[in-house]
Amino acid sequence: MNEIIHVFKTQGNDIWQALLQHIGISLIALLIAALIAIPLAILLMRHKKTAEFILQITSILQTIPSLALLGILIPFVGIGTVPSIIALVIYAIMPIFQNTYSGLTSIDPNLEEAAAAFGLSTTKRLVRIEVPLAMPMIVSGLRIAMVMIIGTATLAALIGAGGLGTYILLGIQTNNNSLLIIGAVLSAVLALVFSGVIRILSRLSLKRLGIVVAATLVLISGAAGYRYLNRDKATITIAGKMGSEPEILINMYKELIEQDSSLKVNVKSNFGGTTFLFKALKSESIDVYPEFTGTVLESLVKTNKKVSHNPKATYRVAKSLLKKQYGMAYLKPMKYQNGYAVAVKKSFAKENHLKTISDLARVSDKIHAGFDPDFYQQTDGYPGLKKEYGLNFASVRTMEPTLRYRAIAKGKVNLVDGYTTDPELQEYDLVVLKDDKAFFPPYQGAPLLLQKTLTRYPEIQAALNKLAGKISTSDMQKMNYLVNMKHEKASKVAHDYLIKHDLIKK
Amino acid sequence: MIKFKHVSKKYDGNTVLDDLNLTIETGDLFVLVGPSGSGKTTTLKMINQLIKPTTGDIVIEGKNVNEYDLKELRLQMGYVLQNIALFPNLSIDENISIQLEALRRPKKERIAIAHDLLEKVGLDPEKYGRRYPHELSGGEQQRIGIIRALASTPKIILMDEPFSALDPISRNQLQELVLRLHKELQTTFVFVTHDMHEALRLGDTIAVMKKGQLQQVGSGESILSHPANSFVDTFFKNEHSENILVKDLLEHNCFSAGDENANYFRIDQNKPLSQLSKALREHSRVLVSGNQQKKQVISIDDLLSYLAQKGDH
Repeated sequence: MNEIIHVFKTQGNDIWQALLQHIGISLIALLIAALIAIPLAILLMRHKKTAEFILQITSILQTIPSLALLGILIPFVGIGTVPSIIALVIYAIMPIFQNTYSGLTSIDPNLEEAAAAFGLSTTKRLVRIEVPLAMPMIVSGLRIAMVMIIGTATLAALIGAGGLGTYILLGIQTNNNSLLIIGAVLSAVLALVFSGVIRILSRLSLKRLGIVVAATLVLISGAAGYRYLNRDKATITIAGKMGSEPEILINMYKELIEQDSSLKVNVKSNFGGTTFLFKALKSESIDVYPEFTGTVLESLVKTNKKVSHNPKATYRVAKSLLKKQYGMAYLKPMKYQNGYAVAVKKSFAKENHLKTISDLARVSDKIHAGFDPDFYQQTDGYPGLKKEYGLNFASVRTMEPTLRYRAIAKGKVNLVDGYTTDPELQEYDLVVLKDDKAFFPPYQGAPLLLQKTLTRYPEIQAALNKLAGKISTSDMQKMNYLVNMKHEKASKVAHDYLIKHDLIKK
Repeated sequence: MIKFKHVSKKYDGNTVLDDLNLTIETGDLFVLVGPSGSGKTTTLKMINQLIKPTTGDIVIEGKNVNEYDLKELRLQMGYVLQNIALFPNLSIDENISIQLEALRRPKKERIAIAHDLLEKVGLDPEKYGRRYPHELSGGEQQRIGIIRALASTPKIILMDEPFSALDPISRNQLQELVLRLHKELQTTFVFVTHDMHEALRLGDTIAVMKKGQLQQVGSGESILSHPANSFVDTFFKNEHSENILVKDLLEHNCFSAGDENANYFRIDQNKPLSQLSKALREHSRVLVSGNQQKKQVISIDDLLSYLAQKGDH
């Protein structure tokens, strides 16, 4: 609980932003869905066959998993807010359409006959009799849709539309329960609040309802229009993957670029996973993001060569392949490596004089290892390591990534795998053993961007290359620790580093 | 004047209405009566075009209904439904004035008309105007149903078995209301019922129907005294039970004081009703014998009002 309050204190502003984003996306999606579904139902209320056909279609759309739908949409409309809203609208149409349609068609036929016999025009009947009588059904459709939208909108974070989902994803990825709880609880509360607001709105007369809807539309489009008009032409967007490390890096990029050029930088942290960011870069939805050399060779470019264990060679290969296959520029890498590592407690290392992985061979029979299941299975993980260094540990157990750190802290195991920049290494007083045979593939971070972006804004290159060879593994570890464990703001941590190392003027 | 000329209606080969020829005079309280499936409701709904004839013409005020703008035509007609069908989402005031609203009359005028009408049927406008239909009893609701049909002072008022779902007391009151309103407004009422007592009580002119065919048209009196065929005879006679005696009419106050000097056909007070109606076919008034104190005379009107009363029980 204390941690949640702490997160609120330090990141209150960001959470507020995410909440507003979430509300914005949900409201726009609901409005669009309602503006499509309700008139459609009215139009089809006297055409039973067509209506049932449409109902079938909307039901089919409903069955597409939301993630798949987002994936399908990306090639057509890119990433960010637009595809999220489209996906949400597609989901919301069915409950609204179905409820409106059954509300309108289940009106007592005697009332319909009376209205017809009195010579009321179709419009008059609709406005005065049919829609008001169907209102309770329409409202329940809207409420179902709203709750669904707010829930599904958490997935929008996956494709960079922001919202409360960012905190849920971040919470899952960094095993930070307070973030997870904040994201989940806020979206649940939001669903309740909106459901209540819709119920209140449903008691208004049709005329007043129209005014409220029109006002909301004007407000939203006004805000969007304002933002569009105020958009600086020379703005570039820098995005980062989930987690603290990319967020710190992209904040450094922002400060460096804004200091050295007249460009404005838009930062999108926790934007999504690797494939997603890479696609976003290709479709120019974003301009720059930091990527690891190892990841480029493993999953982004097509290559049949074996991954080199030399960091420099890896970078060179990655750079040339990116340029050849995608027309992308890969700027100079930073110093630190964020690859696999094996770590032991500092005290244990001292007692047994351990500095390198080779040293482990001496004490093999004393080692009780706890490994991440992936690391335990992959050939570039434990099996390869075992062969390369001729290790034979007393016992090896697999456990969830976060559990193994707790396990070593409590002395249940005395050796774990991890990533070199994991803040837990510092938190639990662990030391990484040097990969003296260079077994682990190198993972160096460097800014990735399209060649044509660089041609248009050549000043980016010089600005970002200031970080080349900077930031050691322990620097990165410390910064991650500050953000993840001490809940400091990534932008502040980034700024402090740049000042300390004279990379920007005070 | 409403004229049906060779009007037929067929649904999937079933003839619901067979070559109907009928004239409804302006200002008449015209009752269509017959058992279910006789085509009476179909006939009514053809007047406001809720049902369109398969063949034949319907002419209203000299103009074929097809030539009217449907909306205009319906706005000139009041309509009362069997199941009342007040709009549950509208207040009583709004229900009454819905047609006026469609005619774009100003709100003040609409409310004034609604309140006038409420007063006319003995419902306090201040108390009832703002209520909603579900807050009213069945009888009150149908009162609203009737005045809703009157709001735009239509030239023709159509009533489709409006009282069949009501209790006898409400039905009786509402029948009186219909008679009163018709007298006041002098507009054309077309009233559908399956209840011959109701037909006799209300109708200036009664049209008897059976299986889509018109059997007889005429005043209640003429139908009773000269049934056109055995169906009409039995349809009405059915109700003259042999157990009812002439003196029952006296107990129900269905008689008048006779002229001291006139010479009447006499009938014994213990004779059954069938004999009375037979006698009334030949004599406009008959004197009840067996009671020497007063001269109690029964006319065909007395018989009709007795029959109508009896229908309520």
